[in-house]
Amino acid sequence: MRIDSVGFFDDLAKRMNANPDRFRPLGEAYIDCVLVMRGTEPCDFAVRLVFDGIGCDHVVVVDADAPAEFHLVGDIAAWRAMFDDIIEHGRATGLQTLNSLALMGGSIDCIGSDPMGLDKFSRFNQTLQEFFDGASQVAVGATTVTA
Amino acid sequence: MAPELDDYGTLPAESPLGAPLDWAWLRGAKSEWGVHPKPSPRGLTMLDIAVGAYGEVPEHPTHRSMAPRGADIEPGTPDMGYILNDKVDVWSDNTRELYEEAVARQWSATRDIPWGELQELPDDVEHAMCQLCTLLTEVEMIAADLPAKWMWRMNHEFIEAKMFLCTQIMDEARHAEVFRKRALANGGGLLLSRNAGTSLLRTIIEAKSYTQASALLHLLGEGFVLDIFRMGELIAPTDVEKRIFRLCMQDEARHVAYGTMHLRYAVEHDPDVAEEIHEALDHGEEVLTQFGTAPDVSTALAVLLAGGVEHVEDKGFPMSLEMTKKQFSSYLARCERAGISRLERTKIPLDLLGIDAATIQSAGVPVAAR
Repeated sequence: MRIDSVGFFDDLAKRMNANPDRFRPLGEAYIDCVLVMRGTEPCDFAVRLVFDGIGCDHVVVVDADAPAEFHLVGDIAAWRAMFDDIIEHGRATGLQTLNSLALMGGSIDCIGSDPMGLDKFSRFNQTLQEFFDGASQVAVGATTVTA
Repeated sequence: MAPELDDYGTLPAESPLGAPLDWAWLRGAKSEWGVHPKPSPRGLTMLDIAVGAYGEVPEHPTHRSMAPRGADIEPGTPDMGYILNDKVDVWSDNTRELYEEAVARQWSATRDIPWGELQELPDDVEHAMCQLCTLLTEVEMIAADLPAKWMWRMNHEFIEAKMFLCTQIMDEARHAEVFRKRALANGGGLLLSRNAGTSLLRTIIEAKSYTQASALLHLLGEGFVLDIFRMGELIAPTDVEKRIFRLCMQDEARHVAYGTMHLRYAVEHDPDVAEEIHEALDHGEEVLTQFGTAPDVSTALAVLLAGGVEHVEDKGFPMSLEMTKKQFSSYLARCERAGISRLERTKIPLDLLGIDAATIQSAGVPVAAR
C-alpha cells in the first residue's frame, strides 16, 4: 500500500475506529491536523485527519497549506522510514516516534502558527502515536511501505 | 413551568419529632425547572450542562459561600473567606473543555507503564536517567502545591476552574509517582537534589497573586517542563520511558493550555494586570535560567541526548543547546498567544540562541482582534 494515498490513511482510521477498546483507555481526542509528504509525484501529498472522540472520522486529501491546528510536514523518505520502523517493530521506536521526529525537526516538522493548536500535538500525543502505530496492522504482509 | 408548593397539597410543618420542616425546595429553583441538558456523543459533559443560568459565570459573584452556582441561596450564608472573587482572577475560556479532557485521559503509573519491559542500561545512561527522574520528582509537586495553596481562596462560583485545578493536582501526584518509580525500578535510585531547583520552586509558590503564580507555573515552569518531557521521550532509552514521557507530556500540555488562556483572559479583561505578570516573569525567567543551566540538570540531559558520556561534547551539548532554543521559542510564542509579549522585555539572549523574534510574534493574536 502506498503511504502517499488516502487509502492508507483511511485504513489507519478504520483500524482505529474498529478498536475502541484500544483507544478508549487513552481518552477522547479532538484534533484537526494536516499531514504533508514532500517530494511525491506529481505534487506534494497532504491529508487532513480529524479526530473526534475515540475515533478518526475525517480523512481527506487537501492542499498542503489547508488550515489546521498543526501540520506535520516531512519528506516522503522520512515518512517512509517512520512507517518502515513501525512495521518492523510493531510500533515506532527510538528516534522514529512522532514526537522525536518533530522535536528534532529537519526530517519531519510540526508546524503551526497558534501555540494552542500546536500544543495539541503534545496533548494528544499518545493517541496520535497509536494511530500511526496502526500501520503495523494495516500493512501486514508487506516487508516495506511503498511510496 | 415549575411546580408550585400548592401542587403537593398540605405538607406537615413539623417532623414526627417536632423539628420544623421547610418544603420550599419542592417548587424548584428560580425558573430553571424544565432545563434538560442533552448529552453529547461522549456522555454528559460539563460543556453540555453549561446551559441557562447554570452556564453563566458571573464576573463579580455576590456570594462568598460554597453554594453551588445556580442554586437558590439562603440569605446570610457564611463568607468562606475567598479572596479571588473576580472571574478575571482565575478563569480561562477552555476550562470546561480541559476538565473533561483531563478526566477522560487519566492514566495509572502502576498499570499503564510496561514496567516489565525495563532493560538494564549502561551505568552512565542509568545514572543520567535517574538524575533526571530525581529532578522531575522534585519539581512536579510544585504544580500540585501551588493550586492547592490558592484553590480554597477561589470563589465557588468558579467551580469549573477549581475542578480543573483538582485534575492538575492529581496529574502532578501521578508524575511525582511515576518518576520516583522509574528512579527506583531499574536499580539506580534517587540521586542529587540541588539548591537551584528549590529556589525556582520557592519563586513560584511565593508569588503574590494567583495570576502571577499562574504565569510562573503554567506558562513558564510547566511550559519548560513540557519541553523536558518531549525531550525525555526523544532520549528515552526504552519504550518504558517513552511511554512515561508521552503520557506526562499530555497532562502537562493541558496545564499549559489552561495557563496560557487564563492569562489571556486576565489581560483582555483587565489590561493593568499585564505589568503584574511581566514583573513575575522578569524574575521567573532569571531563576529558571539558573535552574536550567544548573550543572546537574544540563549534564544529565546532555548525557541522555548523547546516549552516554562518550559523545557528550560532540553530540550531547550541541543537541542540548538546540533543545534550549526550542524551549525558549515555545515559551515566548505562548506568551504572545497569552497577550503578554515578552520580546521587548525578556533578558533571554534571543540572538545568542538564534531565536527569530518575527516568527515568535506571528504566534500572537492581538487581544483587540479577538
